[in-house]
Amino acid sequence: MPNPSKRAAIVAAAEADQIGYLENPKTDFMLGVEAISNVCKMAGISPKDIEGIANPGNANSYAEYLGIVPKWVDTTAVGGCSYQIHVAHMLAAINAGMFDIGVVVHGEAGYSRRNYPRGAAPQRGGDPLGPDAQFMTPYGIAGAPSNYSHAMTRHMYQYGTTKEDYAKIAVSTREWATLNPRAVMHSKETHPAGGPLTIEDVTNSRLISWPLNLLDVCLVTDHGGAVIIASERVAKSFPTPPVWIAGAGEAIGHATMLEMRDFTKTSAAQSSKLAYSMANMGPEDMEMAMIYDSFTITVAITAEVLGLAKPGEGHTLFDPGKSNPGGSFPINTNGGGLSFNHSGMYGMQLLVESYRQLSGTAEDGVNGLKGKQTDAKSLVVNGTGGSLSATGTLVLVADE
Amino acid sequence: MADYNKPIPIPDPYVNGPYWAGAKEGKFMLPRCTTCNHMHFYPRLICPICGARTIVWEEASGEGYLHTFAVQHRAFGAWGEDTPFVTAFIDLKEGDRVFTVLLGVDPNKPEDIFKKIGSLCKVEFQEASDEVSIPYWRLVG
Repeated sequence: MPNPSKRAAIVAAAEADQIGYLENPKTDFMLGVEAISNVCKMAGISPKDIEGIANPGNANSYAEYLGIVPKWVDTTAVGGCSYQIHVAHMLAAINAGMFDIGVVVHGEAGYSRRNYPRGAAPQRGGDPLGPDAQFMTPYGIAGAPSNYSHAMTRHMYQYGTTKEDYAKIAVSTREWATLNPRAVMHSKETHPAGGPLTIEDVTNSRLISWPLNLLDVCLVTDHGGAVIIASERVAKSFPTPPVWIAGAGEAIGHATMLEMRDFTKTSAAQSSKLAYSMANMGPEDMEMAMIYDSFTITVAITAEVLGLAKPGEGHTLFDPGKSNPGGSFPINTNGGGLSFNHSGMYGMQLLVESYRQLSGTAEDGVNGLKGKQTDAKSLVVNGTGGSLSATGTLVLVADE
Repeated sequence: MADYNKPIPIPDPYVNGPYWAGAKEGKFMLPRCTTCNHMHFYPRLICPICGARTIVWEEASGEGYLHTFAVQHRAFGAWGEDTPFVTAFIDLKEGDRVFTVLLGVDPNKPEDIFKKIGSLCKVEFQEASDEVSIPYWRLVG
């Protein structure tokens, strides 16, 4: 079997009709269906042309709703990085000749579900006899922030990093959000706390789980998104430009943080090694990065294991003039989960922006502002799922 | 005990039985694999280190070292009424790691707790109900 590198491309990416804080609540599924409809329109195909479907957990409903009988399905559900892993699996299946056109779809009403009619919200709850219920929740653990903060403390202890170091990540990411009119935190018009940030704004914001302050933490919003993946054979027949999948890798480090051996490293060390190897490229060949930013600490740790910075120095990528607009190495150009949109599983938002950047369609300038399009021709995009648990890494390159 | 208002786990009778039975008697029990001789946590049917299914339970020292911590300013249910409180991961003397609410520290002084990373902690038990006692770890070093 030949190396799957560049044997498939992302040929279109789109969002749901509206994203962010929706005035009228929608369901996960509605947001996903809107995104499929929009991406098919953009790619000049009918949903009936879709041969493969990937979604974390729910391919059945999408296939049924669209009236298609897919040749290939993937319901990998390992958290926010599931979408990167779906692309990896599609690349392999397409390389094996199983189909030519597939869709990866995301619909997640992270915000709307708060406003559903009584009794209509999906029930959440884990196995009462599982390790989290037995050995974590009795001690007051309250979701992702209360977990991730322990990794931040350990990173500070091992490398002497400070809260101000991580705050730079939130500041740079917000700067990108001010160029993206769809970003929740774009401006004072989109959110009372929107617009540019300072390091002091971050470190003075409300404590959530020391050392994490409110502005170290991602948003909770609505989002739908979809990307079309096509084989090398048909990728150039679309009206939209292909962005080639040069490398793909995946890994699971642990499930519960009880089993995270080294709090300062994620399994992206493995998933990125696999992706770089397939692409025959390295971190030095990357011209920008899209890094899952559930929290500022997630970005710092991930940048280090992706080989973009030395251990303990991930935050230095966010010094002024580097990661921010106009900088030498742009990171999280959509405004990130921190300031653009984070619905719970942010991997699709990463994919949509990655496609837009490398296809030259990222320009969103409004109100006289310069848009967010960069000159990058290659990027590494890394999703993180669970409690710094699973990772999926893709190396993407622009069409020549 | 009647006034323990925090979540009380349903002791898993299939794998974790000896852990919870030990806690009820004030003993900190850990599983040990007799093939590779390592202790592990959380308890498994199969040793996570060597893969053998030769697990026995032994009373452990109940001592460990502070690995990392956080101060929770936001929590749900009864814990929400107790914020801020300190949660921590403890490196057990026998190897592997547990999670706890850390006692003997001031949640309003995280910088002081930070200086104690690596310091000795000891387990103690709180009676949560007639059936369940819950291990808590206290910074003593």
